Amino acid sequence: MRPAAAARHVWTAVLAAATSLVGVRAPAAQTTGTIDVGVSTVRYDGFRPSGAGSLTPALTWAGTGAAVTARGTYLRFESGRRSLLGLVAASLFTPPSLLPQRWRGELSLSGGGSSYADFASFWHATGEARLHFVAAGRGAWIGGTGGRTSYGGPPRPVAVVGVGLWVRRAQLTVAASATRSFVGDTAYSDLGSTIHASRGRFELDASLAARVSSRGAGHGVHGEASTTFTLAERTALFVSGGRYPTDPVSGSVAGRYASAGLRLRTALPRPHAIRDPHPPSRSPAAGDGGAGYTTRLEVDPNPDGSARVVVHALAATTVEVAGDFTDWQPVTLRRTGEDKWESVLHIPSGVHRVNVRIDGGRWTAPAGMARAEDEFGGEVGIVAVP
Amino acid sequence: MTRAFINTAVPLLAAMLVAGRAAAQQIDPRLERLDATTRPTVAAVIDSARTAMLPTEPLVQRALEGATKRASGEMIVAAVRRLAVDLGHAREALGSTASGAELTAGAAALRAGASQTILTELRRTRREPLTVPLAVLADLVASGVPVDSAAAAVLSLARRARDADLVEFRRAVERDIALGAPPAAATAAAAIAQSVDVNAGARQQRPGRP
Repeated sequence: MRPAAAARHVWTAVLAAATSLVGVRAPAAQTTGTIDVGVSTVRYDGFRPSGAGSLTPALTWAGTGAAVTARGTYLRFESGRRSLLGLVAASLFTPPSLLPQRWRGELSLSGGGSSYADFASFWHATGEARLHFVAAGRGAWIGGTGGRTSYGGPPRPVAVVGVGLWVRRAQLTVAASATRSFVGDTAYSDLGSTIHASRGRFELDASLAARVSSRGAGHGVHGEASTTFTLAERTALFVSGGRYPTDPVSGSVAGRYASAGLRLRTALPRPHAIRDPHPPSRSPAAGDGGAGYTTRLEVDPNPDGSARVVVHALAATTVEVAGDFTDWQPVTLRRTGEDKWESVLHIPSGVHRVNVRIDGGRWTAPAGMARAEDEFGGEVGIVAVP
Repeated sequence: MTRAFINTAVPLLAAMLVAGRAAAQQIDPRLERLDATTRPTVAAVIDSARTAMLPTEPLVQRALEGATKRASGEMIVAAVRRLAVDLGHAREALGSTASGAELTAGAAALRAGASQTILTELRRTRREPLTVPLAVLADLVASGVPVDSAAAAVLSLARRARDADLVEFRRAVERDIALGAPPAAATAAAAIAQSVDVNAGARQQRPGRP
């Protein structure tokens, strides 16, 4: 894992704060936790490659136009040495009424530290101000950063100025930026671009950057990519890799890496407490369903009004679906692959209620869709078909 | 002329009333799955709904759902009655021209926690059918998004987004929630993305990047 890629690890925080950029009413405050568990192979410039295991807990509070994220990373290298880093970052957007239409201000603060074994440690504390211009499908920003950073000695001043622009079309976002950074007597410029794309359960992020006009921070072209695949309501897989430059602000050393891991998130806040007198078991053989843990349902509508209903169920012998599109008559799905069952049903446009039954057990709401109390003592899945 | 009209119209009107009443009293054969005690009560609720010009199919479906899940007759009747009330409230909010699908989706949104004011605002905002926006609204709230945030996001998109865009928006929210974003934040961000006013800086750091 990248040892100190911490400076702006506040994506969910900024997502929330960005709400005010376009006047969408701010969400109520919420707190979310995640834990990333992964394995990596890392080769820092000038060092031999090493394997590492990582554990990254994160906690995010998102409120009205503001958000705070706290994140820690524990790395254990194959040498037995360990690295620790921690970060707290906050972001605050100006209210829409403060600046002219389409202009918004953003202030973010970041403080953190990292250590490797017992002999290398960093800390940094920075603040950044940005002015955003936001239009339909495109935008630009200009900003400046100031603060202090230290590598086991007296703190050095940090100053960064930058500009950026972005364009979005459908599920694709492309951005470009240029920054000039001064850290003590080190100075360098970065020209970078990023791309973000999503399709179904997949998300792809990639970046390509060049460091030019550098004094003491290296030169070169760098690129990184990551993809995530959503498994279920609370789990996702990620794979990432690339090459990154030295970051004198947050203390990361240039290197290459490849990582893979699993993201687990905390339980969602639910609008209604669902009291299930028959908690599902993980064992379908127990005959009580267990779809809440072991099944996932997908509905793919076809233009002719039919829809392909697919259920992924582990170790099931029979899988049935019932919903308002079947008059609540159980429909037995046919097995089309290992742990995969499907059927084509007529499902008109609208909101539908659906349940799944495994091996003749209890009717349950599968993963992959919203759930609600069914008013009969259990849960029902809710699916919207366009 | 007048006598001839009376001679023709009165029997015809009477016949229509009798036929209409008979049709109203005819119990949907699918309700045979209910027990003998529950069936007439549910049928009466459905008849009342029909008289009030409310869609009856969702009521039948709710009763069938209860039957499939082997719920007690009391629970089935209560659920059908609640839905009938919700459908009435949905029509109050959406207007008398609302389709059956819209009323069903509106009832689901109300049951999820949306207010009638939100439904009325949606009707005012969007000319196209509201079935999918209302379904997405109910879906978001069921996923843990606070109702005010979900409503704000759907309202912001409803004016110009197509139904397919709204469903994609819902999927984007689900994906971001699964990746760790707070539901409210994910909803707001996805709404921004759908309205193509995305803050690119906000999207640069994604989960999976070490």
